[in-house]
Amino acid sequence: MIKDMSVMIAGKAGDGVLFTGNVLAKLLKRQGWEVATYRDFPSNIRGEDTCYTVRSSLDKIYGLGDRVDILLAFDCAAILAHLPEIAENGIVFCDGEGVTALSPEKTRGKTFHRFLLRSMAREKYGREIFKNMIALGALSYVLDLDRDLLEQIISETFLKRKGEDVVRTNIEAAAFGYEKAREMTTETERHPLTRKEDDDRILISGDEAIALGALAAGCRFFAAYPICPASEIWQALVHDMPDFGGVVVQTEDELAALNMAIGAAFAGARAMTSTSGPGASLMMEAFSMAGMAEVPVVIAHVQRMGPATGMPTKSQQGDVLQWIFGSHGEFPRIVLAPGTVGECFDMTVRAFNLVEKYQCPVILLTELDMGQNYRTSRTFDLSAVRIDRGKLVRPGELAALPGFKRYEFTPDGISPRSLPGQKNGIHVVESLEHDERGYRDEGLANRLRMMEKRMRKLDGAAVDLAPPQVWGFEKADVGFIACGSTLGAVLEAMDELREKKVASRFLQLRTLWPFPAEEVREFISRSRDVFVVEHNFAGQLATLIKSQISPCQELGNIVSASTREFTPRAIVEPVLKAVR
Amino acid sequence: MKEKRGFHLTAPTWCKGCGLFGVFEALKTVAASLDFEPEDLVIVTGIGCHGRINNYFRAYGFHGLHGRAMPVATGIKLVNPRLQVLAVSGDGDAYSIGLGHFLHALRKNVGLTYIVVDNRIFALTQGQASPTTDFGAVTISTPFGSRDFPIDGPALALGAGATFIARGFSGEVTHLASLIERGMKHDGFALIEVLSPCITHNKVNSYDWYRKHIVHVESISDYSPRDKAGAWEALSHPGKIAVGLIYEEGKPSFEDLVLPDRRKPIASLDPGVDRTRLRRIMEGFR
Repeated sequence: MIKDMSVMIAGKAGDGVLFTGNVLAKLLKRQGWEVATYRDFPSNIRGEDTCYTVRSSLDKIYGLGDRVDILLAFDCAAILAHLPEIAENGIVFCDGEGVTALSPEKTRGKTFHRFLLRSMAREKYGREIFKNMIALGALSYVLDLDRDLLEQIISETFLKRKGEDVVRTNIEAAAFGYEKAREMTTETERHPLTRKEDDDRILISGDEAIALGALAAGCRFFAAYPICPASEIWQALVHDMPDFGGVVVQTEDELAALNMAIGAAFAGARAMTSTSGPGASLMMEAFSMAGMAEVPVVIAHVQRMGPATGMPTKSQQGDVLQWIFGSHGEFPRIVLAPGTVGECFDMTVRAFNLVEKYQCPVILLTELDMGQNYRTSRTFDLSAVRIDRGKLVRPGELAALPGFKRYEFTPDGISPRSLPGQKNGIHVVESLEHDERGYRDEGLANRLRMMEKRMRKLDGAAVDLAPPQVWGFEKADVGFIACGSTLGAVLEAMDELREKKVASRFLQLRTLWPFPAEEVREFISRSRDVFVVEHNFAGQLATLIKSQISPCQELGNIVSASTREFTPRAIVEPVLKAVR
Repeated sequence: MKEKRGFHLTAPTWCKGCGLFGVFEALKTVAASLDFEPEDLVIVTGIGCHGRINNYFRAYGFHGLHGRAMPVATGIKLVNPRLQVLAVSGDGDAYSIGLGHFLHALRKNVGLTYIVVDNRIFALTQGQASPTTDFGAVTISTPFGSRDFPIDGPALALGAGATFIARGFSGEVTHLASLIERGMKHDGFALIEVLSPCITHNKVNSYDWYRKHIVHVESISDYSPRDKAGAWEALSHPGKIAVGLIYEEGKPSFEDLVLPDRRKPIASLDPGVDRTRLRRIMEGFR
């Protein structure tokens, strides 16, 4: 029985690769499979190479894996680009000419079918675009997918926007593709996938999960500037926000986005912005302002490849240190790093409570791989969502206070917060150093007390932060430390290592700052070989760990500057080399 | 009418004779004459001598970053449109580092009153040229004379689609107060530029100099602030600086356009968990 299947759809941007992949992913999910998608796109609308991989498994998966079983190539270039990834006994469906140009040794063990999708679509339906549905029909034959489900998804996709005729033609095209594939392939080339109950699950991206988490957490103000790969958070919020009474604003730049969210938070909204690399750099100025003013604002940063404009459609963990040590001056901040779409939701909810409780900026740090790709997940648990607004004062309490002190020196450093419009709560939010009421005070004694007040706010925060999650064996010589979307590759590398008789454990960091030094020290001390796995060039996470654990034993560092998703193989090989 | 004293917190420590005193007096006069309490007013300021006003004026205040008063004020206004949100900036704040924010708040027609106190110099940093400094002016940053042509804020605002443009003079407090009051009653973005001498770092553009160079639009025969062409003409007068209500038009404010219901401020919403609605959204991901 087939337990794991990867289908890659490759072509040029503008071919409809994304659409085809999304329909396939949804179909596999409804058929009860676990799904993880991966899109490898240029930062261009049309004309350049693009591919979309849909991996499905009967087991829980969090990432892509190493192998492609079926390649659906919309052109010859796509075959040449991806042939090395195709598994033994893999099948390649190719549109157009060019297959003959491949040498026999490269194609050995793989089956090729020339499948003239474009010309068939043109001849039968008058438009090339129907090639996507013919291809989906063909795939549903080869994988023995549920055709009723495919028709249902086609209907959901087109009925409202395009009408019944379009639905009918698409269903016909899928049926046509199904029959063509039956004619072309032999029974041995079929990879029939079993069908399971699709119980209480969703297929969602990290960006969408953050948007949903924000709405659930009472976020009613969102301001942002368009940027890949964070715009999907905004796009997922923008339609529903008015129903919740809130507002989404497109600003002139990221300077304005964070400043506006700060203004909104000061006025009483649960407020948020989202961005990526270049926008995050612009936000550094206001980040410091939020720290000084103690305004509760949530910032979601979906990392992409830098530096500069870099590679906007490629993932990386290259901005890990930016939010932990970034901006001018010293101020407390919380940096969370969800590793699954479920955690994207939960930690967004958590972020909005933390931000009001501790009155310092909270950063949700994810990556493009997490933000834009889809994963199956249990339906998010709404019953666990709680709203905690911290030391926000109620109007009744204010009347009793003589001379409201917004920045009162309290034992825990966290001061009561009033909102503009509230009687007896008047104060100034001051970017300059200020006294307890918020008025400018540059005196030495006040400065020292105010710094200590702000900096001690997180002293007791550990109880509210997401602790690291430990995966794998209780006792093992090999230990991994990682965060974010490398989780899938690490977990599968652990499975492969176990097959090779190497037991391992994995500490998934979920809060990067304040740094969970105790748990990390304990984990490192109980492992012989520790490998920090991260998707960047210079090993930022390892640098962070070494800066917080002293003395610290030698740490292995498995880094990747690749534009592709981290693969299990990239972890297994260096580990085997090191431990054997 | 309430008393001005209610809004006076402490005596300002600006240089004796600074134009900002006129702005401070005008603001207190307006605040006392309008129907709101100190807690209903938020003053958002930038960085410069003007920014000290939060320490002197009794109201909620936000003394933020250099140039960023507009987005902060916009965030506040959208979350609670019941508040009177007044932003105060200098020429450096509004026309240099914050120029982009100024134009975008203006084109969105956010219901803010924006007072730009123009002293034609960076005063707090000891006298560098600002975007409104005269061409050829010698300052500590332009010892050979400024080689930048100055920006005219009201003309820029008119070109960018502002719905309320006024210019006042620190030396004419009553007139300035009347302009600010009209601006605060305007539903939409109101720019009030204030010609405001810096007696320490700008010896050229003094009270006397301004008195010789200003022309009140009220004194121009048949002047109508509803006439855009007339406003252009007044702003283009060679050698004269137009003051008064220069231009005004009605346009829906940003709050009216984007808020689901401006009578239900976001600030007063209960951020409770609407599980039914959330569950319905989640269904879309099945």
